[in-house]
Amino acid sequence: MSAAPPGESANRLRGDLMAYASLSLISIFCAIPFFWLLVGSLDGNAQLFLRWPETWTFANYLRVFAKEDGAKWLFNSLFVVGSATFLVMVLSGLGGYALSRTRAWWKLPFLYAILLIRVLPSTALIVPLYKFLLTLNNAEGALLRPIFGSTTRDIMRWTGFIDGYLGLILVLATMQLPLSLWIMKTFFDGLPRDYEEAALMDGATMLQRIRRVLIPLALPGLAASGLFAFMAAWGDFLLPLILLSSPELQTLPIGLFRAFLRINEIDYGLLTALAFIYLVPAVVAFGFARRFLVQTFSGGVKG
Amino acid sequence: MIHLNNVRKFYGALEVIKGIDVTVEDGEFAVFVGPSGCGKSTLLRMIAGLEGIDGGDLVLNGTRINDVPPDKRGISMVFQSYALYPHMTVAENIGFSLSLKKVAPAEIRRQVGEVADILQLGELLDRRPGALSGGQRQRVAIGRAIIKKPSLILFDEPLSNLDSALRVQMRAELQRLHRELSATVVYVTHDQVEAMTMADKIVVLNQGTVAQVGPPMELYHRPDNEFVATFIGSPKMNILPVAMTRDGADSIRLAGPLGMTFALADASLPEGAARMGVRPEHFKVVAADAAHFVAEVAIVERLGVETYLTVGSIEQPIVVRVEGDVTFRPGDRVPFAADTAACHIFSTDGRILRSANVA
Repeated sequence: MSAAPPGESANRLRGDLMAYASLSLISIFCAIPFFWLLVGSLDGNAQLFLRWPETWTFANYLRVFAKEDGAKWLFNSLFVVGSATFLVMVLSGLGGYALSRTRAWWKLPFLYAILLIRVLPSTALIVPLYKFLLTLNNAEGALLRPIFGSTTRDIMRWTGFIDGYLGLILVLATMQLPLSLWIMKTFFDGLPRDYEEAALMDGATMLQRIRRVLIPLALPGLAASGLFAFMAAWGDFLLPLILLSSPELQTLPIGLFRAFLRINEIDYGLLTALAFIYLVPAVVAFGFARRFLVQTFSGGVKG
Repeated sequence: MIHLNNVRKFYGALEVIKGIDVTVEDGEFAVFVGPSGCGKSTLLRMIAGLEGIDGGDLVLNGTRINDVPPDKRGISMVFQSYALYPHMTVAENIGFSLSLKKVAPAEIRRQVGEVADILQLGELLDRRPGALSGGQRQRVAIGRAIIKKPSLILFDEPLSNLDSALRVQMRAELQRLHRELSATVVYVTHDQVEAMTMADKIVVLNQGTVAQVGPPMELYHRPDNEFVATFIGSPKMNILPVAMTRDGADSIRLAGPLGMTFALADASLPEGAARMGVRPEHFKVVAADAAHFVAEVAIVERLGVETYLTVGSIEQPIVVRVEGDVTFRPGDRVPFAADTAACHIFSTDGRILRSANVA
């Protein structure tokens, strides 16, 4: 390669500098809220505006877990969102495969119809949804109460449709399933049938084909669809707010919200610590799925 | 030995395989060749058991296997994409069928080692397919096929993903393997060069029927019909419309395009319109007084050892092969003669009326 003429290389240098400068500005702009959170959560006397702490302390975090029910909220969030994500991955894996391989006439109408679920804002659906879940919940209660008597409420905390984990998990999963189905359907479209047929010729049963061939091949797609489901469900605020009322069931965003609404005073140290805890699982999930995302969205499995 | 007896396949009301009869002997390398859509891949998948058979019998070593599941047929298949599992190492890929059968790990290792020796894959056993070259992947795919000790190996266009240099190398490699394993092979391709270079027996398929079966040189020199004549050989055989008039009991006069006219010693050909097939190498540049026709050179393609001239009109081009590097230029008018013994005569609907009289 021949060396560039001096004028051109100076131009290139100036261009590079400009690019780096503007990119740095944008990154700083994006990073400041996170930095603010971190600084505020470690400040012994956090205020509304960003400031350098006079005393550094973990007291805010201690308060989240010792004084407040932070551990409980974190567990609730992780359990509900994790279950919904798992459900979405299983259903979108199986459904996406079926949708990719079927030649049924209803395939495209079905795919567009489920996308509607995603497009409609859940806020608009909240009343009929609540009504529907309430009816289910009452039916379940009527069924269980004669059998279990006073322990019914403890069971319904897990299996109830209103103010129970199950209802929220199902609704969250339903909201995320359409997109995940699309992702998995597209993913399987790009996966040659040859893989399955080769396994078939090697004598693999249906279960062996799924477990030893399809699931390993589909991992990148599953990670992508799972990540999207997790992030959306993790960030959802409205559904847990409406569907959960018991304090022991509330999730992190609801805990954060209620802490902000307390009378007397706003405890910015507690809020920032809670918010930072709320951020971490999303970042961790992204970290896990990142390497699969590239594969899924840059084109199929390379063999 | 695999025997197809009047095998048929329908997609709905559409018959895609229209009653095919083929026999492939033990140790034979049979190539199914034909243009896209001729049904060759469907036929291969029917033999493999990946597609159902709607009529006729598929008989492998004396047993009818129409309804035997794919893995119980004793048939292996090398897929076009190779279908190597990217999450398994080369050794795991090759040993996959054994591990499904719950063969002991030590035994799997031993057999994989044997196969790897044959295919010279020894150093690659711990790699993933993603880290292999095209040719190495092909060998792994073959390894996965032969470890099952199949009585028949099917290949579905295995060279079509390779670049042309590697393709030539893999053709030689496949022939070597076939000799060493003395395996029975059915190989599908759309590339007549692959068919010609590798096959013991070529099955030319056209629109779901067998156009002709035979060894490569027989198909080349004695095609049964115009389809086979033009499909086998590159560049293609020239097909020219001719009018035949009898000018004696043992002689018939042919008149073709470009004022081409000559007599054939033949007592049986009917008078009237027909189509004449002449391969490019059966035209010669001759002295003006011996010419069957004189034509203007349109295109000159020099390959060094030989030169292809495209002469005549755009509607009826004639390709002529000339030895060596000639000095003709586009626009030159050159006298040509056809080797009359090497002319094929087809009826207007493509049936052979007179085969060429060459070796």
